[in-house]
Amino acid sequence: MAGDEQGVTEVDQQKYDADENVKIICLGDSAVGKSKLMERFLMDGFRPQRLSTFALTLYKYTTTVDDKTVLVDFWDTAGQERFQSMHASYYHKAHACIMVFDVQRKVTYKNMSTWYHELREYRPEIPCIVVANKIDADRRATQKGFNFAKKHTLPFYFVSAADGTNVVKLFTDAIKLAVSYKQNSRDFLDEVMRELENFELEKPEDTSDKEEISEGTESPKTV
Amino acid sequence: MSYKAKKCGVRFEPPAIILVYEQEEGKHRQRIMPIRNFSKFSDCSRAAEQLKNNPRHRQYLEGVSLEQLVRFYRLLKAHLNGESLDVSLNTIRREETIDPDEDLNKLDDRELAKRKSIMNELFEKNRKKKDDPDFEYNVEVDFPQDGVVESCGWDDELEDGF
Repeated sequence: MAGDEQGVTEVDQQKYDADENVKIICLGDSAVGKSKLMERFLMDGFRPQRLSTFALTLYKYTTTVDDKTVLVDFWDTAGQERFQSMHASYYHKAHACIMVFDVQRKVTYKNMSTWYHELREYRPEIPCIVVANKIDADRRATQKGFNFAKKHTLPFYFVSAADGTNVVKLFTDAIKLAVSYKQNSRDFLDEVMRELENFELEKPEDTSDKEEISEGTESPKTV
Repeated sequence: MSYKAKKCGVRFEPPAIILVYEQEEGKHRQRIMPIRNFSKFSDCSRAAEQLKNNPRHRQYLEGVSLEQLVRFYRLLKAHLNGESLDVSLNTIRREETIDPDEDLNKLDDRELAKRKSIMNELFEKNRKKKDDPDFEYNVEVDFPQDGVVESCGWDDELEDGF
């Protein structure tokens, strides 16, 4: 897989510095339903861009927050989680994280510790939402206490990608958190990045990525 | 013409898939589809697909899932291999349930795809589709966590984690 590692950095991440762009990453074990949640939120509007050589799927979504247009890129793992760890560029410049486990499989809950640890190595401050998926398969789970989120003081949602419970709420809240993080970020690494980038002012701006964004998905409508 | 499948099963001697279906309200009919050219070396998935796509049978089998047909061929194959029905039913059941403690991150593509397809059956069953009359895009349900007394039982081992 050595070849892939080179490749990941080729995904242009400069655009995430622009005010209107946010990057939200999904984390969690194989088969917890990350892609199913994305698809339920985007419905027909979803046009994933599969970068299979990078084990990465990008979903583009356009919305408005406080009357401002926001271009969201959702990053989904596409199997990369099976290396037990994500490439650093997966976390690079992310503004929020959605971390998912399967209420029917304890191992996916336990593995969240590892994911969370890795997330915090790269992004110590970004908002992270903990998501208990597949509650349609086990309704009783919603009456139980899951302490992981409380322990790390993270927001926690019970959802079902199958019947749609709380999926839209989850994603709209994640977008709001990402936007507000971006506006108020005191993240040390972000500050450093900004300073570093100021050294490169002479470099011509590359705007080609913005054209690609403009064909992003429409907001799905309730039918 | 629509045929509503009511019950479907497998017969070992002589081998056949048997379907009970309803053509008009309340009137049940039985269709016997003999299984030919199937041995203990045959491929169950292929046999099931061939039956499901057979021009003479396919409209009767619309309400029967491919998975169920594969299961019948697997039972028959086990029978041809001299296995008892109890044993083969148990094997199938075990293979079709997810071991909640298995770490799926560690499986190869093929094995992971198998587990995903098992989980997908439940997903499809519980799925609310866009065309369903009671479909709502935004479903919000509040599950208050403050009054919770019962623990998920998964937390203790997490304590020594991160």
